Amino acid sequence: MSEVQRRKYSQEEGSAIFDGEFMPHIDSMYNFAFRLTFDEDDAKDLVQDTYMKAFRFTNSFEQGTNAKAWLFRILKNSFINDYRKKSKKPATVDYQEVEAFYNSDNEDYQSTSDLRAESVKDMLGDEISNALNALAVDFRTVIILADLEGFTYEEMAKILDIPIGTVRSRLHRARNLLKETLKSYAQSMGYGKDEVED
Amino acid sequence: MENNNTSSGEKKQQCSDVSKCFQLLEHMLDGELADVSQDMLKEKLDKCQPCFAHFHLEQAIREVLKTKCTKHPLPEKLADSIRQMIQDAR
Repeated sequence: MSEVQRRKYSQEEGSAIFDGEFMPHIDSMYNFAFRLTFDEDDAKDLVQDTYMKAFRFTNSFEQGTNAKAWLFRILKNSFINDYRKKSKKPATVDYQEVEAFYNSDNEDYQSTSDLRAESVKDMLGDEISNALNALAVDFRTVIILADLEGFTYEEMAKILDIPIGTVRSRLHRARNLLKETLKSYAQSMGYGKDEVED
Repeated sequence: MENNNTSSGEKKQQCSDVSKCFQLLEHMLDGELADVSQDMLKEKLDKCQPCFAHFHLEQAIREVLKTKCTKHPLPEKLADSIRQMIQDAR
């Protein structure tokens, strides 16, 4: 968050921004928080904290810029700083450290496909949701931002404080991992094989 | 996407530059290549089976994520409690 510029907005203007530009994103914010924490109470706290910060730092929000991206960035940072630390889950490798070793422009695009578009379309919401939730948090995050929320690469780069090339390669890897999971679902349900003809 | 189509209207079964093609297709689906026309895309996909399959798989995945990852319903009082919290802070 950049420095607070004092007295930029009057109290009335501040209220109008909060109600008109921040509050409408509460559903997306809660969905994001829940998919990060997997816990309703934690998600609620995270969203509340985010809105409290948004209120306190309203003056650093530029009107006319993307309020949703601004809020998502606060939520993501709050999650990293406050929630991830206190999580009782065993420490996982931070993907960001790992991927720094790879050249993001040299991504290998390959056909993964034993998985067919039709199989994916036939899957239930729970299956898709579980596959998404099974991804490590950094991968899960880029898919949520790109596919559930429709952010551009550039907006994602700002939300996550990473270069755009890293957004691209992380998203690509995330989708490949997701495809692997969906493929195993498809196979276990018999979607993967063509119908046997008599 | 590459141009070396076969002379007939048949689809190629092998793509000679999978890496480049798939990368372009994925960026296009992410809305990052605005200047590619639908006609141009269709023409390319009609000529190459691996690109065609990959495009439709990637499109299906984006679609199910968007439509089937149902939004987790917002707890009833959350919006009100946030408004109240801000009211108190003012």
